[in-house]
Amino acid sequence: MYLQSLAIFACVNMIAVAGLVLLTGYTGIFSIGHAGFMAVGAYAAVISFKYLAVPFLPAIIAGGFVAVLISVIIGYPALRSMMAGDAFAIVMLGFVSVVRISITNIKPVFNASFGISDIPRLSTMSVVLAFTILSVWFMRNFLKSHYGKNCIAIQQQETAAEMVGINVLKTKLIALMISAFYAGVAGGLFSFFATYLAPTNFSEAKSDDLLAAVVLGGINTLSGPLLAAAILVVLPEFLRFLAIWRLVFYGAAFVVIMQFKPEGLMGYREISFKWVGRLYGKVRGKARD
Amino acid sequence: MNLFVQQVVTGLSIGGIYALLAVGYALIYSIFKFTNFAFGAILMCAAYGAYFVTHTLKMTSLVSGLLGAVVIGVIVSLATELLAYRSLRRLKASRLFLMISAMGVNIFVQNLMTIMMSANLRSLDIKMPFNVIRFGKIRIGSLDIFSLVISLIVLGVLWIFIEKTKHGIAIRASAHDTDTAGLMGINVNKISFIVFAISGLTAAISGTFMGMKYAVYPTLGAISSKAFISSVIGGLGSLPGAVLGGFILGVLETMISGYISSSFRDLFSFSVMIAVLVFLPNGILGSGINDKL
Repeated sequence: MYLQSLAIFACVNMIAVAGLVLLTGYTGIFSIGHAGFMAVGAYAAVISFKYLAVPFLPAIIAGGFVAVLISVIIGYPALRSMMAGDAFAIVMLGFVSVVRISITNIKPVFNASFGISDIPRLSTMSVVLAFTILSVWFMRNFLKSHYGKNCIAIQQQETAAEMVGINVLKTKLIALMISAFYAGVAGGLFSFFATYLAPTNFSEAKSDDLLAAVVLGGINTLSGPLLAAAILVVLPEFLRFLAIWRLVFYGAAFVVIMQFKPEGLMGYREISFKWVGRLYGKVRGKARD
Repeated sequence: MNLFVQQVVTGLSIGGIYALLAVGYALIYSIFKFTNFAFGAILMCAAYGAYFVTHTLKMTSLVSGLLGAVVIGVIVSLATELLAYRSLRRLKASRLFLMISAMGVNIFVQNLMTIMMSANLRSLDIKMPFNVIRFGKIRIGSLDIFSLVISLIVLGVLWIFIEKTKHGIAIRASAHDTDTAGLMGINVNKISFIVFAISGLTAAISGTFMGMKYAVYPTLGAISSKAFISSVIGGLGSLPGAVLGGFILGVLETMISGYISSSFRDLFSFSVMIAVLVFLPNGILGSGINDKL
């Protein structure tokens, strides 16, 4: 059971990080409040499940779509501004605290800071795994597509991307919407596993966790941050005695990585399994000799 | 009516603190074009500096508290510039990397202070020459008056420094175009030192007043998000805009907490920022010049 819950947390984290990879790793938009989208998705999913009697899977998807809606409302004005990168970062910084404040102060339905408890545990291992595989597969295809290439172009040289005819605002918005959808779904899955939902579940520290996975994993890579996301869930369990130092370590790691290897540990590379095939070929070749 | 006047004065004093913070932030933004997220950490360290001087060294006058804060604030600000930003700037790294580095400094310092100093609230007991001033039925706390007056003085001195002195001209030239300023014989590294020192100074002064108004604690730096919001409202990178945004935000926030509810204050300031971005994408005083190739 312990290992299973660890695996589920790792999978949920991986879904959220896959979304953040598109936004920060590929499009180059810095998001420090991604946990806000997780909170929105989680609350939307749980409320539509408990109060509107929506079945489990549609509720999760609905949570994702509510997160998308919110992301457009706050993201569109910020991304349209001339200083898009910084304005968006500042908006996200405010967003995560605003979400917490609103939830903590609304008593009906949200139940203020007490949170919602007695949520049935419907996120089983198989469901979460299916979601993770689907979302990672979709993200991989998206990043390899024409849209993904547009995102990379914007990250590298925004002006040049605009000159060759990429609609910068539209591409950024698409990246933001998909990324918010992922975060919303991850939040929903998380709360249906944790069986309770409180505003403190999705604090700034959670955003830092997600960002740490992307920064450590590297930019322009999907497998790096996913690996980092899984490791960052599992590793603290073995280093319990260092638990309070976790965020200090993240902060120091951000600065050190930016100084010496700004593209991250796995920047511009993917983990490939081609070496398995090559090894197999070699072994067979040797066996034939 | 009396309540209203009192609210306006309190709002102006908070606005002065926000304006000071926003100027410190906007100064760095205007030259280096990135958001210094470590600003909150600098503010918090400076407030601890003031706490150290007033509590441990028992020098409880306002001047000594401010001095302690300024020393710590400037040191921390320069240290972040040297350790986290300078080499990245030399490599002409993208703004994304600078922002991640800044966020790293913020997370690092904030959590380190939480572990070292514990998360307790500590009060700054600084002795004020008087407690309350009365104008008829209107009472104004001495802290409000001092913070407003000192913020205005510092803003004025800064304005003279930037408009009239040689270094000020160099700062404005660098803000216009850092590379060309470097070619014209301006030592950009020296300018960056001056700018980060000024930014640390403003963070320290506003951190001390915030610490006196509320308390000193490791997440005090969250107030810096108000500086960012003021700067976005006034126009990112514009110094007069930052001052204007700070005062607008301060007065509006005080009105909201006075007449509606203090728990929705942050929600309100966030909505104001979104509204400004919807109707004036570049802020109130932001320039509409596009990047040229």
